[in-house]
Parts: sequence; C-alpha cells; structure tokens
Amino acid sequence: MTVSKVNRGRTAAAVSLTTVLALAATACGDDGSGGSGSEGSGKGEITLWDNNTGERRDIWAQIIKDFESQNKDIKVKYVGLPIDQVQQKYDTAIDGGGLPDVGGVGTAYLSNLVVREVLEPVGDRVEAGPLKGKLVPSMVESVKAAGGRGDEMYSVPSSTNNGTLWYRTDLFSRAGLEPPTTWPAFYEAAEKLTEPGTDRFGYTIRGGAGSIAPALDAMYGQSGITSFWKGDKTTVNDPKNVAALEKYVALYKKVTPSADVNNDFIKMVAQYDNGSIGMLMHNLASYQDHVKSLGKEKFKGLPYPAQANGERVQVSNPVDGLGLFKNSENKAAAWKFIEFAASHKSNSAWNESAGSIPANTDAASDSWIQQAEPTAAAMKALSDGSTKIVDLPYYLPDWNTISKSGNEPNFQKVLLGDMSAQEFADKVAGELNAAQAEWNEQMKK
Amino acid sequence: MASAVAQDSPGAPPGAPKKPGSRRKGTGLSPRRLPYLLIAPAVLLMAGFIAYPMLSVFYYSLQNYNATKPWRNGFAGLDNFKRIFTDDPLFWDSLVFSGKWVFTEVTLQLALGLILALLVNQTFVGRAAARALVFSPWAVSGVLTTTIWLLLYNPSTGVGRYLADAGIGTYGSSVLSDTGTVFWAAVLAELWRGVPFFAILILADLQSIPGDLYEAASVDGASRFRQFFHITLPHLRDAIILSTLLRAVWEFNNVDLLLTLTEGGPAGVTTTLPLYVAVTGFEAHDFGYATALTTVAFGILLFCSILYLRLSKFGGDHK
Repeated sequence: MTVSKVNRGRTAAAVSLTTVLALAATACGDDGSGGSGSEGSGKGEITLWDNNTGERRDIWAQIIKDFESQNKDIKVKYVGLPIDQVQQKYDTAIDGGGLPDVGGVGTAYLSNLVVREVLEPVGDRVEAGPLKGKLVPSMVESVKAAGGRGDEMYSVPSSTNNGTLWYRTDLFSRAGLEPPTTWPAFYEAAEKLTEPGTDRFGYTIRGGAGSIAPALDAMYGQSGITSFWKGDKTTVNDPKNVAALEKYVALYKKVTPSADVNNDFIKMVAQYDNGSIGMLMHNLASYQDHVKSLGKEKFKGLPYPAQANGERVQVSNPVDGLGLFKNSENKAAAWKFIEFAASHKSNSAWNESAGSIPANTDAASDSWIQQAEPTAAAMKALSDGSTKIVDLPYYLPDWNTISKSGNEPNFQKVLLGDMSAQEFADKVAGELNAAQAEWNEQMKK
Repeated sequence: MASAVAQDSPGAPPGAPKKPGSRRKGTGLSPRRLPYLLIAPAVLLMAGFIAYPMLSVFYYSLQNYNATKPWRNGFAGLDNFKRIFTDDPLFWDSLVFSGKWVFTEVTLQLALGLILALLVNQTFVGRAAARALVFSPWAVSGVLTTTIWLLLYNPSTGVGRYLADAGIGTYGSSVLSDTGTVFWAAVLAELWRGVPFFAILILADLQSIPGDLYEAASVDGASRFRQFFHITLPHLRDAIILSTLLRAVWEFNNVDLLLTLTEGGPAGVTTTLPLYVAVTGFEAHDFGYATALTTVAFGILLFCSILYLRLSKFGGDHK
C-alpha cells in the first residue's frame, strides 16, 4: 500500500473535502440575548414574531394595520413562524442574536425563555395600563405558573384552547348514534362507525408529533385523577391511568387507520377532513380546517368526553400570549403594540379568526362566541365548574423534552405493541420525577 | 511570476532574472510576500467558516451546555463521550441505522446511476430528452422531494389508496407507518433523488474515454461485456471512488429527507446519527451532548474516509 506524493495530495484533498462536509456545525455562538435593551423613543419600527403563522397571518395584518393607523410613527414588521419551528427559532436567535421586540409565546415553552432571561417581566406594566383587570384570571394564573418565577408574569395572555372531540354528524346520524359526550359512548361510537375492509374508521389517533398531550388527556379523562402530582411524584403511572392508556391505545388499528402511528396534527386533521373518519380529538384551532373541507353541517365539536358519572377531567391547555423581549431597543413602542393587540377589539377579532378562547374579559362576552358553538361549549365547560383541570408542569425546563422528542417514539412503540403501557408510563413518570426534583432543588437556591 | 515581474522592471535587460526579494513596482511588496497576500482572503474565509465552527464544536463537546438548564452549564471533560459510549443505546441504534442507510443507498445509487449513464451514453433518437429526464430529479430540492413522496405514500390520496380500491392491501395504511416497510420506502425516495448524481458524474467520465480503444477492442474480437470490464470500468475507477465517497458522506449526514419523510420513525427505526444530533440539539436543547455526538460522527467519517481511500488506492496507477 505505497502511496505516492501525488496520491497523498489527492488523498489529503479528498479527506479535507470529507472533513468539511462531515462536520455538521452544531456550534453555538455567544448568548445573543443582547443586554437589557431600552425603552426607546416610542417611535420607529418594531418586529413581531407570530408563533403560529398560517391562518393567523391575515388577522395579524389587520391588527397591525389598525395599530399603525392609530400610531403613525410606529411601524410593525410581521414575521410569521410555523408553530412546530417556533421554539427552535427562538433558541437560534437567543444564541445567535436577532430576537424580536414582541413575540408570540405559548406556556408550553415559556419557562425555557424565562430561564434564559430573554423576556421582560410585564406584571407591573399590565397593572399600570388599560389591561389592568381585563385579562381572564385563570389565564393570568397559567402564565404565572408556567413562567416558574412566582407571581411574576412574562407574557400577556391572548388566548387559550380547549381539547375538542370533533365528530361527523352525518356519520353519527346514519349509524343512529348520539353525540359522544362520555368515554363509554366514545368507545361505542368508534366501534360502530368502523367498517372493516373499507375506508370507514371510527376514530383517528395522534401517534406522531404531539401525541403525548392527547394521550395524557385520555388517561386522566378516563381515570378521573385530578392532580398531576401526589407529593413529589407524578400520578402519570398510577394504575388507573395505565389502565386508561391501555384501553385508549387498543383503539389503534382496530378502529383507526394503521397510518395513524405517524400522525402529527396536520396529517391527522387532513385525514379527518378528507376521509370517512367518525371522530377526531384535537383542539379548537382546527375548526376552520373542518369548515373548509366539510362545511358547517357535517361536523360538530364537543369538549372531551366525561366519565360515565358525568364528571369531566382534562389536562390543561397551553395559554398563548405575547412576550416583550428584554433586548428590545424600543420597549415603549413594543408595549404599546402588546396593549393594542390584547385590547377588547383586537383580541376578540384575533380569537374569532383563530377559533380560540379570548383572554380579554370584555371579548369573552362578544356575540361571535355564542355563534361559534364549539368555542361556546368549551368556554362553558371551563367556566361552569363541570370540568376539573389537571395542570401539566409547563414550568419544568425538561417538560418539552419529556413530552415530545423524549417519549413520542416510545408512544409509537406502545401503539405498535413493542412497549407496554405500563413501561411507557413508568418511563415518563421516572423522567418527570427526576425533573421535578431538580427543579425543586433549583428553587431552593 | 518572478520572471514576469522582472520583465516589467525598469533598467533590467530583457530576459534578465530579477533579484530575489526585490519589490514589485507600485505595490511595495516582494514577490515572496505577494502570493501570501493573494491567498490571504481565502485563508481568512476558511478560518472563519470552517476552522472556527469546527473548533467550536470540539470546544462545546467538552462542555455541559443545555440551553434550558443554565445552572448545569460548565466544563464536562470527557463526560459527554463517556455517556455516548457507555450509556446511550440511541447512539448505537442510530449509528447502526446510519451504516445500513449509507451502504444501501450508495450501492444502489451507484449501480442504477452506472446503468443509466451507460444507457444515455448510447446514440439513439431522443437522447437529449432522455438525458434531461434522467438528470431532472437532481434539480429538485430535498424538501420538495419529500413532499412528492409523502403524497405518493399518503394513505388517503396516494398509491396505497388506489391499490386498496383495487383490492390490494388495506385502507388507511402507509408504507411509512410499518416498521417493516418504512426503510425501503425511504430508500426508494432517496434513490430517486440520488441516482442522477452518479449518472451525471459517470456519463461525464464515459465521454472522455477515447473511442479508438473500443474500436481496437472490437477489431480484436472483444465482446461488449469484455469491453465494459477491461476498458470502461478501469477508466471510471477514480470517478467511482471519489463519487461514492462524497455520496457516502452526504448520505451519512442526510437529515432533510428522513426528517421530513419519517421524522426518524415510526418508533425511531429510521433515526440516523445526524438526525439524533438534530433532535438532541434543537429539540432537547442539549447542545453540549449534541456537539459531542457530532464530534464522534466526524471521527467515524474521517476514519472511514481515510481507510476507504487507502484501500481503494485512489489516484494511483491502476494499469
């Protein structure tokens, strides 16, 4: 194996090329959160990051237009981000610079931003301005809890969502079924609506990205357990929850398409809207998709099923909001925009468009809510005392990892029969308990 | 360059050699320094865009750096590497899958690319159109490729639906949701994109083979089969070695197609090592561990590349 000089040169060149191609640069730069920013002049341009672009783009354009017409010396630059990439965009901007002045922030990843000290506390600003007393208290509490810094708020809530059982009214009436208001009725309908050997399925299950939250809803909803923690240990692997999970995953392939194992919400909703599937569990946000594909007459939405005794238990839904970023050099203008977006008129219009529940107390009584049946039913379920909410630990920095990339492949294993429900629940519980212990330790310091 | 400069020097007889170290007119630089100045921009660019990111990766691989847990951040020594080799079954699973993926893809792409290149190297009516057709998938972006194949594999609107209508297979199923078929479904999609790469390179090399070699071989009574193995293949040797190496590295680092087509699933069965790095870094925010995984992947690729080039005697005299 003698290699000539020329040969060595070529080898070196090839290896160099390989080196360049091989090293996927996961290098991280300096913390780009950039100093503490400033109030600025209250004029000029501010940047808004929409954390769920798509359907919302048009309503944001309208709100920005209205804002700019009232504030001639402020321009708002809109940047739309897909919901599944928003956290990655924030991470990249934190490390590399370029955070916005105002950004959409959900409670599911609020604590990650708070821990990294990129968000401005907004509690005092809310108390000192027109939003004082105008934000739904339960959403304010959710935002405070998710921030993990006691009574301080790190985002202004704009909306929340609610788990919704969407069902095809045409298929239900043809099968002579009543609306699936309880879990037993849900299971019965799923079986009756399935016709083996055809494309008719009773239910479509979420097996891909985002599968853990619906699974937790099915677990707590059936078991009736109303607290996520029992002391310092989670109740996720309580025998009642495990039994509920076993029953839920047994639906896979029996009354669902086998392709469901890969379902993220886009695939799941598209499958429901374009096929002959009886039921789908998602939130209010997919309402407009159903209307576009099915028309208003062929489907309805109910809050998640109650137990046979009528008691309903749901896991908490993330609260969406607007965050003011510390590095903004024009916080005065940015805050003016947040106040405008969270005001009665803007917040109502935004939520009507998104089909979600408004955070502004004045908007909550607007007529469109009564006309949007699923939204009205969700608001009623959340406010009339009939529903117990299990608060998920959004404040844990590990929550996103545990509830997403860390265990979604394992949930698929459960569906495919490669892992038992007990093993899955034990693994999730073990990780949650460790994360909670670490969090408690940090809070003591 | 020295002589060229010398001819421009005033007072020097034409053709007279210039004294070493003398300055170039107008620049104030000696001919010895000028080349360094000329390559300086390239060196600076390489330092900035190649050396710095690489060194950063090595640096962070020795750190605990989790974006969501700043209290843990700090020097980790070799802990990340210890965890990789002793306490991370996902690393080994993804590495094994990466090896299987690279071997399958490169072998099939080379074989099919070679066949297609030989076909479109023939003279026939419509050859230009056939060549354009063969090369066209190479012009399609990775994400668009995925979209095309996702539509084909879609259980409601794809091929599976039509097969079910015809009584073949079942409704609501997809090759991407079955752990037994997802690998080959992904391989097929990547083949569609990757085969033209080999076809283009091999066709370019085929066209440089002198025609008189084939004529002489024909006169000597060599069959097409013998001509292929004794003229064509030896001529293509270096091109094949380099292109397979490049393609192997690209396939190893392939993230876009698998991420968008299968997301590494179902149940993690199509997770390559780079995909695992991406999830660890950008979803779990554990950048320290992700860079350690990257460093290990880099080491593996470097070792395999050197070994491959040595064993294949790339660039040597093979006559």
